[in-house]
Amino acid sequence: MVQMSRRQVLFATGAAAVVSLAGCGDDTPDKKDLDRNRDGAMEKYGVGDQFTATAPVTFSILYNNHPNYPLKPEWLFWSELAKRTNVKLDPVAVPLSDYEQKRSVLVGSGDAPLIIPKTYHPQEDAYVSSGAILPVSDYLDLMPHFKDKIEKWNLGPEMDTLRQEDGKFYLLPGLHEKPWQEYTLAVRTDILEQLNIASPTTWDEVYAMLKAMKAAHPDVYPFSDRFGKPNPAGNLLNMLALSYGLGGAGWNYHATSWDSGAGKYVFTAASPQYRQVVEFLHKLVAEGLLDPETFTQTDDQARQKLASGKSFVISTNAQTLVNDYRPDIAKINPNARLKKIMFPIGPAGPVNPASRLENGVMISSKAREGKNFVAMMQFIDWLWYSDAGQEFAKWGVEGTTYTRDGAGKRTLAPDVNIVGLNPKGTKHLQKDFGFANGVFAYGGKLDLVQSFFSPEEMEFQREMNGRQAAPWVTPPPAPLTDDEREQTTLWATALKDYVTQNTLKFALGQRPLSEWDAYVTELKGKNAQAYTDLVNKAYERYRKNHG
Amino acid sequence: MVTTRARGVRPSRGYRIFQAVNAVVLTGVVVVTVYPFLTIVARSLSDNAYIVAGKVNLVPRGFNLTAYRVVTSDPAFWTSYRNTVVYTVVATIVSIVLTTCYAYVLSKRHLRGRTALVGIAVFTMFFTGGLIPNYVLVTSLGLKNTVWAIALPNAINVFNLLVMKAFFESLPVELEEAAAVDGLDTYGTLLRVVLPLSKAMVATMVLFYAVSFWNSWFAAFLYMDRQDLLPVTVYLRNLIVGATDATQTGGGLGADDVVQSAATIQSVTIVLTVLPILAVYPFIQRYFVSGILLGSVKG
Repeated sequence: MVQMSRRQVLFATGAAAVVSLAGCGDDTPDKKDLDRNRDGAMEKYGVGDQFTATAPVTFSILYNNHPNYPLKPEWLFWSELAKRTNVKLDPVAVPLSDYEQKRSVLVGSGDAPLIIPKTYHPQEDAYVSSGAILPVSDYLDLMPHFKDKIEKWNLGPEMDTLRQEDGKFYLLPGLHEKPWQEYTLAVRTDILEQLNIASPTTWDEVYAMLKAMKAAHPDVYPFSDRFGKPNPAGNLLNMLALSYGLGGAGWNYHATSWDSGAGKYVFTAASPQYRQVVEFLHKLVAEGLLDPETFTQTDDQARQKLASGKSFVISTNAQTLVNDYRPDIAKINPNARLKKIMFPIGPAGPVNPASRLENGVMISSKAREGKNFVAMMQFIDWLWYSDAGQEFAKWGVEGTTYTRDGAGKRTLAPDVNIVGLNPKGTKHLQKDFGFANGVFAYGGKLDLVQSFFSPEEMEFQREMNGRQAAPWVTPPPAPLTDDEREQTTLWATALKDYVTQNTLKFALGQRPLSEWDAYVTELKGKNAQAYTDLVNKAYERYRKNHG
Repeated sequence: MVTTRARGVRPSRGYRIFQAVNAVVLTGVVVVTVYPFLTIVARSLSDNAYIVAGKVNLVPRGFNLTAYRVVTSDPAFWTSYRNTVVYTVVATIVSIVLTTCYAYVLSKRHLRGRTALVGIAVFTMFFTGGLIPNYVLVTSLGLKNTVWAIALPNAINVFNLLVMKAFFESLPVELEEAAAVDGLDTYGTLLRVVLPLSKAMVATMVLFYAVSFWNSWFAAFLYMDRQDLLPVTVYLRNLIVGATDATQTGGGLGADDVVQSAATIQSVTIVLTVLPILAVYPFIQRYFVSGILLGSVKG
């Protein structure tokens, strides 16, 4: 027994040692001295250059394995990548369902691959203090395309949102030229025509539309929503809050949100805007316009209601509209037509609430010590951030998977299909070639991002891009110290549960809205104020230290 | 009528009520447990559109076998299926051998240090090294990406061990004494006397272990870095959880990530995964029915 626990202690210390050793790499004084890490790197590598390692190199990479296009070693993507860059990727394949957990274990045990993609900010926060993740902002000089895009597209303020307490950032995010708002409402247009109402543009008009639908069909809840897990009514709350000028509600829940008017952080669920959102929801529920089950049902249940005509309005993105709702309903009611309406405008005015940053890549600190470090950073820069690399990752090889006409418009090869663009194609761009892979292909220039969009979606995006960017997309950095993070984590869960519970009670009418002030006081009793103060303190501190 | 009355004691009223209640409650339990499974079977045989419309309950609608053809023609499915079979067989054998040996030793009261040995086992019931230390241990032993990463760390389930130990303790001492008198050593006693008498016990343990290894996914998920090493449970999990999670993570996800795995495909995979282990039960059942120690000790 004694021996056993001694052994366990040994391994625990071992693990701790690995982590702290990894931390040491960060403190080497000659951070800029990369002489020993230049094997395979290109002497001259700048914007527009094709990266090709001077000698064949292999990098390990954590690979998020998608059930729809499971990893195949024979994909053209791998062989063509090796041909162009002289780089072989050695993937550790992790099922998408539990990617985050495996990533935690691998990083925590010091066994992580060098390249760790598919990380959504702020997931990297948890790894920063251990030193296991490289502060990539120190090495941007190795990444000309990345720097170029940040500069060209004015992404500085967005990048600042990623900064940690030391002023550095640890994640290389996907970069979009324009924000891309995916979610909005889908509406049965045949019902709109029957009732002779125009497609709604504001939340008030949405309300009026639902009311008219209810009047004509008293036995249905016209609006029954999906995307309600794990946060009840996650997408609906998020969309509403965004239109009311609040960043962190619904499935985008953050305890605090940036109030650009007041110039400080406020507790999201105690703010006046949140109250308005809840009041609006309550109105919908009370008048029988919103299905109360919206808050608890699964996506499938909501889909079933829409398909069988028990509801007419539902949350959507471009994919769910085409892949779910339309085929669902076509078999049951051939006359039904569904359309994505413009993102409804609320009191915050016509804004585009999407961020221009995407999920991104973390680099293991171990990589810094490797002799191929420079080559690896150049490679990452080429594949994820150069126009040529992004086009390759998304569309594949010109002449094989796609062609370009004189105007630069890309067309899939006759035998290749993806997202139904070329229904006659027998091979799938993702499944059979490994391109348009969520691990490698995202972000980029507007024309690349939109190159798979249907005309319908293009119209939606054109309109959305005409709207100005929302101020809360780029809240100023307010990075917490380790101690503060630990403290807020202790408060966060109880607060979030309480917020969710009461949001539902207010919306469903189980608690009268007249008790709002009492609810705010209760939140304070659960440290909401202390939490907000801490974040504001961090914001001030960061401003003082890093200007 | 007359003969039945003459043959047995008439059951009391209370007993008959008890039987009725029993029958009702157990039927209820059967319905509750079997219903979801039958629904899944029905869904696996239905057209996706009917499932989405919520019209499939116990009877398949739009009967077709396309989904079965799709799933069974996916080589990745069969690779993971083969892995599951291999992992389950190997891990179950290892587990049964180790658990039996440990339990038999512990059942001997004259064993020195018995309390300590029991203590070690029970200790692990309440305390574990934690996820990352375990991972570091298994990795540094070089077990990663092998079947041993699944079989060895979970080889002895302490609960099963204690059950088995209690069972061995309940065996009549006289049997083993008789075996010793006839010249059998410890191993001979275990193999020739004790184990043949413990078929029911061993069968139960095989079932427990096999089912748990068949259904387990976490160890494989953790220690296997290559897709072709993953068992069918992980394949299934990725199909189902992946389909819901992709939409859950929300705004940041690109359109390419939204998984659309048809409900039928999911059901088919569930049915195919559950079927074999379900088929094992009837075969093991017969060991439960036959008596355990019939006529071994007399007088």
